[in-house]
Amino acid sequence: MKRYSYEEKGVKISRREFLGFVGVVSAFLWTGAYTMTDLIVDRTKYIKMRTAGLYQDDEKQAKRQSHNNQSLLNMYKSLNFHPMSPLAEELFHTHYVDRSIL
Amino acid sequence: MPKSYQENELSSIIRIDESKCKGCDTCKSFCPADAIDGPYGANHRINSERCLQCGQCLVNCPFGAIEDTTDVVDQVIEKLQDGRTTVVATVAPAVRVALGEEFGMEPGKLITGQMYGALKQAGFKIMDVNFAADNTILEEGTELIHKIQKYVLQKPVAEELGPLPQFTSCCPAWVRYMELYHPDLRQHLSSAKSPQGMAGPVAKIYGAKEIWKVEPEQIFCVGVYPCTAKKLEASRPEFTAAADYWKKQGHTATYQDTDVVLTTRDLARLLKKLDIDIRNVQPAEEKDNPLAEYTGAGTIFGATGGVMEAALRTAYYVLTGQEMDDLSYKPVRGLDEVKSASIPLKLKDGGQEITLKIAVVHGTKNVEPLLKEIKAGSSPYHFIEVMNCPGGCVNGGGQPINPMGTSWTGKFKAILPWL
Repeated sequence: MKRYSYEEKGVKISRREFLGFVGVVSAFLWTGAYTMTDLIVDRTKYIKMRTAGLYQDDEKQAKRQSHNNQSLLNMYKSLNFHPMSPLAEELFHTHYVDRSIL
Repeated sequence: MPKSYQENELSSIIRIDESKCKGCDTCKSFCPADAIDGPYGANHRINSERCLQCGQCLVNCPFGAIEDTTDVVDQVIEKLQDGRTTVVATVAPAVRVALGEEFGMEPGKLITGQMYGALKQAGFKIMDVNFAADNTILEEGTELIHKIQKYVLQKPVAEELGPLPQFTSCCPAWVRYMELYHPDLRQHLSSAKSPQGMAGPVAKIYGAKEIWKVEPEQIFCVGVYPCTAKKLEASRPEFTAAADYWKKQGHTATYQDTDVVLTTRDLARLLKKLDIDIRNVQPAEEKDNPLAEYTGAGTIFGATGGVMEAALRTAYYVLTGQEMDDLSYKPVRGLDEVKSASIPLKLKDGGQEITLKIAVVHGTKNVEPLLKEIKAGSSPYHFIEVMNCPGGCVNGGGQPINPMGTSWTGKFKAILPWL
């Protein structure tokens, strides 16, 4: 017949130590130190998923190079100009400003 | 008006709500411009003079304490309903793979058809920014080719050109970084406008004349971007090419090329206000709309390395006379902070061989070493792509806040959606 026996746990932790331990853990969480969770969580996963969506869109297209966009070429033809021409400079090119002196 | 802005530019798009800020410094670790003031533990504030308006702090704040103050949703709805205005939505590539998240879909779900359908149901005319991205490649790629002819092949070139290496100019936060922190290097930026800069004039000139056949003044151009800095870019005073064009033809009105910008989050809010659920709209194809035609090169603009890859496909063809064998150019893909590659090219006339050297950077801080090389005159590159947001536009500051990231409030919402 088994007899009931009770033994204190080998590791004892005092109230003070417990509070200290909890304090350290919450300090980790509070400071936004993601080092612990970063080991198991990939925080860029959603970026990769969205990127995969775009590459999927790329492969779906019948034409995959900009110079083969027929409607775009038609636009240049219809307005009678070509890339880097004076009208293209006017509509599609710009200049940049020195913002350090604004 | 704070310093570092031109007249009428939006200067304080991003704001920290002091009642929600816990002073945890997460925003500071994502800020590319050290534009957030306030010590650890105290309320933080954004320094607009330094801020790029990129919104990285906003999408990464664990407490949802940072907001986008430029809300034009009601203004757009008013325009949609007034009956006199042709409201054109120009939609960026990265929106179609993230908009679904606001309606409970998983990240990366490609919903171009549903997105077109929802926009049409709301009353928008559609122009795909992917078309403008293809347009950007023709302009920016031609510019690069002319620079190669001038500086590498020593051939005479008619127009004025900036120096090599050439930087991409698609990302408004990066452009602002260059203008603000390295103004002496700004001639290295491609003179080509960003796709947003091109979409406006195309809609209000070609679109008005040939597609929708309306007066340009009747067009209200709404940019839909994954980006808060695009709101700033649209307000740049020099972006009035369409109005300037029409003034030469007897028109008098003055207006911006892109009137207002919605982020992906804003668009979701607008659709919800109009009771349009993207999960059960009639998908639309837009096959007969020339301004919605785009190539694979246009769509990958939304990811880091995408502009470079798209430019390579066209530059390779123009310089060698042949299409690339394998269009998926892997060395520029992926999340390494700086990617570089050398592409051997055998030129079509004469068969001379050159090596095109390129680099791709995302996360604007990572560009500093490359800028130092240029200042020292030792940069080996011809063409450098920079996107401000880690991963590119797909992770832009205007995208849905994803609970897989550092947002804690987002996580609580994912677990307890009714709260």
